[in-house]
Amino acid sequence: MIPMEYFLVLAGILFAIGAYGVLTKNNAIIVLMCIELMLNAANINFVTFGAFANDIMGQAFVIMSISVAAAEVAVGIAILLNAYKMRKTTELDDEKLTSLRW
Amino acid sequence: MDMTAIFGDYTAIAPLVFLIVAALILPGVQLLGKNRNITWAVGLVLAVVSMVVNIMMLTDGYVGAALDLFEYNAYSGLLILLFSIVLVLMLLVSNASVETTRFNTGAYYALIFAATLGMMFVVLSSDLLTIFVGVELTSISSYAAVSMKRNDPRAAEAAVKYVVVGGMSTALTLYGISMIYGLSGTTDIAALAAWVQTLPEINLLLGVGIVAMVAGYGFKIAAVPFHMWAPDVYEGAATPLSMFLATGSKKMGLSVFFQIFLVMFVAVASVSFLGETVQYLFAIIAAITMTVGNIVAIAQNNIKRMLAYSSVAQAGYILIVMAVMSEYALSSGLFHMFTHVFMKGGAFLIVGALICAGVGEMISDYRGLAKKAPFLAAAMMLFLFSLAGIPPLAGFTSKFFLFSSTLYGMEGAVDSTWVWLAFIAVLNSAISLYYYARVVKAMYIEKGDNTEKIKVPAPFMVAIVICLVGVIVLGVYPQLVFDLCESAAAALLGPYLL
Repeated sequence: MIPMEYFLVLAGILFAIGAYGVLTKNNAIIVLMCIELMLNAANINFVTFGAFANDIMGQAFVIMSISVAAAEVAVGIAILLNAYKMRKTTELDDEKLTSLRW
Repeated sequence: MDMTAIFGDYTAIAPLVFLIVAALILPGVQLLGKNRNITWAVGLVLAVVSMVVNIMMLTDGYVGAALDLFEYNAYSGLLILLFSIVLVLMLLVSNASVETTRFNTGAYYALIFAATLGMMFVVLSSDLLTIFVGVELTSISSYAAVSMKRNDPRAAEAAVKYVVVGGMSTALTLYGISMIYGLSGTTDIAALAAWVQTLPEINLLLGVGIVAMVAGYGFKIAAVPFHMWAPDVYEGAATPLSMFLATGSKKMGLSVFFQIFLVMFVAVASVSFLGETVQYLFAIIAAITMTVGNIVAIAQNNIKRMLAYSSVAQAGYILIVMAVMSEYALSSGLFHMFTHVFMKGGAFLIVGALICAGVGEMISDYRGLAKKAPFLAAAMMLFLFSLAGIPPLAGFTSKFFLFSSTLYGMEGAVDSTWVWLAFIAVLNSAISLYYYARVVKAMYIEKGDNTEKIKVPAPFMVAIVICLVGVIVLGVYPQLVFDLCESAAAALLGPYLL
């Protein structure tokens, strides 16, 4: 059987990649994708812990978090589309999207 | 009246039922009736009925559970009352504000009711899973509601920032919860509190879990250093919505802190090393949050932005509860949350009313307001002085309770550990008076370009008068709500205190 640490390290790496992307990328679509990576890292954690402890709660939590993530991305893309119509850009550091400061 | 006779096994979620019905039928009502006044009236009636049902349950002292998920007690009852007050104030002005009547009416009301539903869902739950889902219901509905202000580039930008930052905070929270779940094997908060007491010491994974959860939920209450989205969103959103987010959504985040971290660590507070570490973590966040919020607010020229930073600072004051971790601190924190609804809500409502009358959002636009709208200027002055904490207004009473709670440890013995936090908080109140007084000076001393009288819509006046009554009555007669706060704190923490 594959040891538990392997799954946790995989999740940790995924989470780190996602967090790095959120902090450094300028394109809002890529940022949303990186947030998905971070959410899925947490999902892997839940499934792993649930499977190794023989507890159903881990999987129940993943079902909930997948549906929450889907709703969040749907709303997020709609908001980006709305902003794109107004600004003609999805770049977060573009001067058109940084009029609100301090 | 006995509510169990009407609602049976579902009594614990009775106040929510009306909101679920409203969120589901209002888009249909709008589609069929094609009249936004009818939709508004139906929504307002359902919200008021929900509030009345909850007040009856609260005064009856109802305690009960429903569906194995929800537990109604004095704590959840009190916070449901707070959220329904916010909802009713918000609905009152929604049909009169020039900012919100341009929205798609059915969708707008459905989103507002769904967001309030999420807040009530959170305060009724006792499990990390239901708290997570409730917080997300509120957040996702608010993202959509903020972006409804079409053809306004500022609102579009605010919504993009809100959804990106909110998504990141969700991911952080979920990762933190997964760590806690993996270590303890449970997501039930009562079981977690028992588990924390058996821990010999902190390990790395527990540290990662707690820090990730604190950061994730810290975004929701806009605690420094996770506060950057709040001023942008409050400035970009329609003013009634800014009021809703600053008073309702933020209180939900604070309640999450009480329900998860306070309950988990209250038994080990000032006993074990783990407990003290968590207390100092929150003490530092509280001190930084109030200081940064107040200092940055001085530099603001837009009044919505200034109020947003002041609301960051107020969240810092309430976080004192998380450092002190006592029952008295929790009851005074709940009381401050209550008074904050009236004073911050009232200030935002006046800004919204003046926007309807064509006055701008800049502090310089408020010059000579005392001549143009004497009542509004006087009300604004009272709300701002209440926020700064000047007696005999509500803000003074609640701040007095909150800061004095740092002096008392368990069982009322004097404990000087957190006095420095009260000292920082009092200094901050003095700083805040400076920028509140700037607005008062603009309204009363500086001369405006004209003295034409300003007329604002009647629903706004009703909502502002309600807030004004709240600010004055709670200031001179705090026991009205403070007794409820005390029984709420006892209901939440009672089982965990020795």
